[in-house]
Amino acid sequence: MMTRRPWYATVLMYAGLAFFLAFLGFPLVWLVSASFKSSQELNSLAVNLIPAQWDFSNYAAALERQNLIPAAANSLLVSVATMIITVLLSMPMAYALARLQGKLRAAGTIWILTSQVFPSILIIIPLFLLLRTISLNDTLLGLILVYVTFTMPFTLWMLQGYVAAIPVELEEAAEMDGANRFTILRRVVLPLLAPGLVATAMFTFVSAWNEFFLALVLLQSPELYTLPIALRSFLGAEGQTQLGPLAAGAVLATIPSLIIFGILQKKLTGGMLAGAVKG
Amino acid sequence: MKRIRGIGAIALAGVAALALTSCSQGSATRDSGDGEGGAVTLQFQSLSDQPATQAAVKKVVDSWNSENPDVQVEIIQAGWDGTYDKLITQFTGGTAPDIIHFEASSIASFAADGYLADLSDLIDPDLKSDISDGIWDSVTVGDEIIAYPSTLQSYMAFANADLLEQAGVEVPTGDSMTWDELAEIAKATTTAEHKGLGWGLASPTATMMSLSLGFDGGYFSGEGEDAKIEVGDDELAVPERIHEMAYTDQSLDLTSLTQSGSDVLASFYGGKVAMTVQGSFQVTNIAKDAPEGFNWVALPPIEGSAGALQAANPQTYSVNVDSEHVDESAEFLNYFMSADNLAEIAYADALIPSSGEARAALEEMAADNPAWTQVLASGEGLEGPPFLKADKYTEWKDTIATPAFQQYLADKISKEQLATQLSDGWADIAG
Repeated sequence: MMTRRPWYATVLMYAGLAFFLAFLGFPLVWLVSASFKSSQELNSLAVNLIPAQWDFSNYAAALERQNLIPAAANSLLVSVATMIITVLLSMPMAYALARLQGKLRAAGTIWILTSQVFPSILIIIPLFLLLRTISLNDTLLGLILVYVTFTMPFTLWMLQGYVAAIPVELEEAAEMDGANRFTILRRVVLPLLAPGLVATAMFTFVSAWNEFFLALVLLQSPELYTLPIALRSFLGAEGQTQLGPLAAGAVLATIPSLIIFGILQKKLTGGMLAGAVKG
Repeated sequence: MKRIRGIGAIALAGVAALALTSCSQGSATRDSGDGEGGAVTLQFQSLSDQPATQAAVKKVVDSWNSENPDVQVEIIQAGWDGTYDKLITQFTGGTAPDIIHFEASSIASFAADGYLADLSDLIDPDLKSDISDGIWDSVTVGDEIIAYPSTLQSYMAFANADLLEQAGVEVPTGDSMTWDELAEIAKATTTAEHKGLGWGLASPTATMMSLSLGFDGGYFSGEGEDAKIEVGDDELAVPERIHEMAYTDQSLDLTSLTQSGSDVLASFYGGKVAMTVQGSFQVTNIAKDAPEGFNWVALPPIEGSAGALQAANPQTYSVNVDSEHVDESAEFLNYFMSADNLAEIAYADALIPSSGEARAALEEMAADNPAWTQVLASGEGLEGPPFLKADKYTEWKDTIATPAFQQYLADKISKEQLATQLSDGWADIAG
């Protein structure tokens, strides 16, 4: 028999949720607010969420000065390509890692964990020399390959957890019905793995979208700069910051990421429900 | 089934995107060299961050390019953040640009590693004699000049003239202002509503090292790996005076000590502090961002027992030792550094030009802004500091000096403990 939740518990729950959302959303709200403030207001002691005078010039400055639109296009290309390649490669590898037993699996696990230990600063010079040797330094393709290499261990680790959660009995039942290994993967595992794939894709996209250091070092031509590199141009020597244009640029940079999240999140929820029913 | 088709489509799109990426970019390994018709193309990595400065640099480059069809200069616009790591990778990988914009304290280690060309015999003799020995010293490693020093900043005090007047304090107007005067004004202007001085010292080492020269506080002697540290009364005079204003006189806003210089400007504009010490480049930001009717002045350079001396850490232009066109690069830089060009760039960036002729040109350009007179006056006391010669200075600064100064300014350790931490820390790092 179900007991009815008291009204005050519901109120408290929604109040808590509202507070949590406000807490999470405040930086974004503040960023949007700052992007519409004049430099005088940004440099005053007044703490206004609503700008005293709406100033749109920051957006014009952000777009004009630092070539944000070409940079956003570069970021989008790099992030989407990284996401697709990583997911495609991770999928079979994660399955193997989750289902295989023995020394190979142990070695794979150790490799994944070890590869997470090294900071990128340690390997950037050999990586740069390697890319130069194959004529891929200062190209977006080179950057994509590097991002895939850096993201892969974690996505693999993440995805193999999702594979492990799929009951092996389902695969055995399909085998009994005469399905071969490929059919099992395609018809049984892949649909159940959808939420994991979406989560992995989101993680990979955001990692590539926000990455700064590798892009800074590996890209030399200004026309290839990604968004974080373009935004960094608003920070000067001696801590000088063009706060208004930087905030405007950051708001613009957030939009594609939010759209991708919006699209993928629906798939994530749908996939989770599908998995739950089948499980 | 639908989902699988979707994945297939995404995979196809990915492959197409990759194909497009690789086709459109191809190999972009950048080498300077002979362009069309035998013209040389020099890559010039510029770090100018202000739009006005970028425009001024572009104007100089465009004018050079139109006058010199055989030697074309291509600007590669970069930013300050992460530049050291990027350059070290480029030098190691052999893809660094021909001409490199950076700052003196950061290029010394590149020079020590042999990445920068010796420019001693390529610098225009007139330009050489028009820049003080102290400034040349800041770009000299061993007996080689490894960069053209272009523009500099100093630390100077800005005051809210109305608050000074309310406190009955006359605005100092001489050639310099002593630390005692600064402390007296800070004390006189401190009330229940506001403090006399706001000083953004969240990253205090550069300020301490620079202003200590005014008390003969050099901290380091010797060069390279043999550099030795000495932390005596001269070296500790500046931190001690700041500490005294903060804790004994209580005329210095304690909150400001944990902020950046730019953060303190809000308190200055809002009348919460009567004076603030800032980098001289803030002169244009204050003119632009201060509220309407805000009555502010730049005070004379601050003078210690040894004079109004400060460390010269100029922005610099170096030439990659592996460039195939070192001579052409130097020729361009001689043109770039000519008085009118340098004055325009310095004016746009609100910095002090290194050469006397450029300073005179800038004085004319900024004649209607009295604050610039004080900015240029503060440039007279800039000299090459000993710390630029010490290998491992940057490591000491980041890991030892900054936390030690921060603890002292937070009143967590005594002056003696500060001296010990600075000395012992150097011994640990320099071995």
